[in-house]
Amino acid sequence: MDQRLERILPRVQKPARYTGGEYNAVIKDKAEIDIRFALCFPDTYEIGMSNLGCRILYGVMNREPDIWCERSFAPWGDMEEEMRKAEIPLYALESGDPLAQFDAIGFSLGYEMAYSNVLNMLDLAGLPLRSADRPGLTPLVLAGGTCCYNPEPLAPFMDLFVLGEGEEVTLEYLQLLKQAKNEGWDKARFLRQASHIPGIYVPSLYDVTYHEDGTVAAVTPKYEDVPARVTKRIIQDMDKSYFPVKTIIPSTEIVHDRVMLELFRGCIRGCRFCQAGYVYRPVRNRTPDLLAQYGKQALEDSGYREMTLSSLSSTDYPCLMELCDDLLDYCQARDIGLSLPSLRADTFSMGLMERLQRVRKGGLTFAPEAGTQRLRDAINKNLREEDLMQSVRTAFTGGWNGVKLYFMLGLPTETDEDVLGIADLARKVYFAWRECTPNRARGVRITVSTSWFVPKPHSAFQWEAQITREEYQRRVDLLRDAFRRDRSITYNWHDIQTSYLEAVFSRGDRRLADVLEWAWKHGAKLDSWSEYFDHQRWMDALAACGLNGDFYAHRERAKDEVFPWAVPDVGVRREFLWHERELCYQSVTTPDCRTRCSACGANQMLERGRTCG
Amino acid sequence: MADRILFSKFGRARFISHLDLMRTIQRAFFRSGIQIKHTEGYNPHPFVSIALPLSVGYSSDCEIMEFVLLGGASYEDLPEKMNAVLPEGVSVQACYPAENKLKELAYLNCIVRMDYDNGVPEAAEAAWRELLSRESLVVKKKSNKSKLGYTETDIIPLIHRWTLTAEDKAIRLDMVLSAQNPGLNPVVIRDAFCEAYPELTPDFMAVHRKEALDINEKPFR
Repeated sequence: MDQRLERILPRVQKPARYTGGEYNAVIKDKAEIDIRFALCFPDTYEIGMSNLGCRILYGVMNREPDIWCERSFAPWGDMEEEMRKAEIPLYALESGDPLAQFDAIGFSLGYEMAYSNVLNMLDLAGLPLRSADRPGLTPLVLAGGTCCYNPEPLAPFMDLFVLGEGEEVTLEYLQLLKQAKNEGWDKARFLRQASHIPGIYVPSLYDVTYHEDGTVAAVTPKYEDVPARVTKRIIQDMDKSYFPVKTIIPSTEIVHDRVMLELFRGCIRGCRFCQAGYVYRPVRNRTPDLLAQYGKQALEDSGYREMTLSSLSSTDYPCLMELCDDLLDYCQARDIGLSLPSLRADTFSMGLMERLQRVRKGGLTFAPEAGTQRLRDAINKNLREEDLMQSVRTAFTGGWNGVKLYFMLGLPTETDEDVLGIADLARKVYFAWRECTPNRARGVRITVSTSWFVPKPHSAFQWEAQITREEYQRRVDLLRDAFRRDRSITYNWHDIQTSYLEAVFSRGDRRLADVLEWAWKHGAKLDSWSEYFDHQRWMDALAACGLNGDFYAHRERAKDEVFPWAVPDVGVRREFLWHERELCYQSVTTPDCRTRCSACGANQMLERGRTCG
Repeated sequence: MADRILFSKFGRARFISHLDLMRTIQRAFFRSGIQIKHTEGYNPHPFVSIALPLSVGYSSDCEIMEFVLLGGASYEDLPEKMNAVLPEGVSVQACYPAENKLKELAYLNCIVRMDYDNGVPEAAEAAWRELLSRESLVVKKKSNKSKLGYTETDIIPLIHRWTLTAEDKAIRLDMVLSAQNPGLNPVVIRDAFCEAYPELTPDFMAVHRKEALDINEKPFR
């Protein structure tokens, strides 16, 4: 270990985050490696190590004899300060080698508030932030993850973006990079060639022009051979795709310290506000036998005593009962906990939940998202009040004494009646508890949380304006006032400042890169942590760059407006999304994908255009 | 009676905290297929207990952990089975039934290296010898229980023996320190030294636990 590092570590919080050497961390002989890849997660170790996608890519790359994939995370402030003082550049955990020595540096982008960490990590690595200022072929700097469906605010910093699921395309562009290294290509030649690989978006190969009003006029490829649209990659057959059975087990606590078993990709529900529900289409399942086998192997190899069945809406897995029966037998015999991360409020899910729950009967969480049936229909959240009430009655009768209810404020078409409907619904839940609980003396905790709706690209609401902060605050106050007399109901509302910036950056364009850089230069980092987030700094950054955040957050887009995310194609037709938005204004629901295919277009990505689900 | 493992902690694993190390070893038992006794009660978990917690950053060749072996390995093959599933830097040397009580662990033999990056100052060796040769050396330790907000301890009686070697860029102390009731962490000696000789403050202190000893200074197992 580097002696300078050895001296710093005893002084920083949770030093085991910075050492590597965990069980199953992959160490290879540098002499036998052609491509060294640094998989970077722009947040702390505890968050990054909880990311299943990173574990999959780590495994996929390290299966290849000529590639060595290592990890790097954003250091906490105390560690960063020590590293800068001791002039230790950002390094990869496995080898301890500085990132600048790597062939490729890949960031996983899951949320907008991590963007400042990307810049900070590049700077800690001693690399110029902008692609144009890094003339050499290596290290190639790239990014993947959900944010890359609109990566424009990061476009000038990245050499390329990877759209969609990375299992296959990662190896494809790394093989090309290997060829480029061997044959002495320059970076321009490599990027041009890489843009021909399906799923690879090279932002520097496109010109963006703007109208006078600030909207995008066109995003045009600079050369004829560069594709006008880049379609995301998907795995065709989940049963043949890699699952990290043998994966790194951190020696210190992380956020999701358990086996994560990925049942399927995509979601059949089609909630209109949900970006994930659209961009991860089509739905593709793993077979239950294989899942049971993966789950058991992963438990045995990890030593974890807990496993979660993780997917966007796990209870929609068609063979859930069959899988659970198999896994429950195994887990109960070994005192292993099995859990579902998301719960739908229906009788089936509740029955399942009761069977899975071993010891603690703590809280249950439901996300009705909206307070009235009309608004739930408008956003296509197919949750009926009867189902929710039935579920909480079952839970309270069974001795549960806490329920968390999540809602959004500022959804399209929302009225004050809908806002107050949240209070009504929470009160009904409270009365259900009074009616059903076997033990009133224990009391009940009903927590209502609201967040400020952020319209996301590639969703049915991508044209929508986020309501203004004054309006959001007014609705919060309205609801708070409605709860004034309910002592058993706690009302929390999400911090409005990060939601505003998320709204700005999620639908932002390339001009926001300057804002990012300005904010970073003035100290922005770890912005998803309240200890570090400074709203004023971001407002100053927007002002300094002559941009108006409200233009991105609070402006309704015209039907045919060219979006900054004109190039990335998630496989869902724009006409379909517009139609969904129109149905919202008519409060008309769309059935889930299993009940009826709505022809969104995503099944066209499947071989021979078979139907999904 | 309980069973024990003797294990080392070195390299990167030095920075695993005490609680994280317990969790890591519990998980390693599950991975290895070795069964150990669990705690009873509502939420049973494998029962393990480490004799003397090791400060983060220190290395050791003499860590002792107690548990009750139920099956899945013999004393002879347990170390190999465990080492196959432990993280880098945690290594089991031996497994055996406990034949004494943990409170009989009396001393720790520690190698303490005080680094002076620009060379050991001329006065440093004499200063270290002077400090360690004192009749008594009372240090204040923060305490929430005491009315004064601190307690006073004389650390000289807790330093059982010591030898000092001066090198070019380090002073090396080979010490036998009281292990418990009360024990003495080398950092307390360093802090006392820095208070007495602030101008001779070392740049870094590395600590290695070399051996656990009983009251007769025989290796404690």
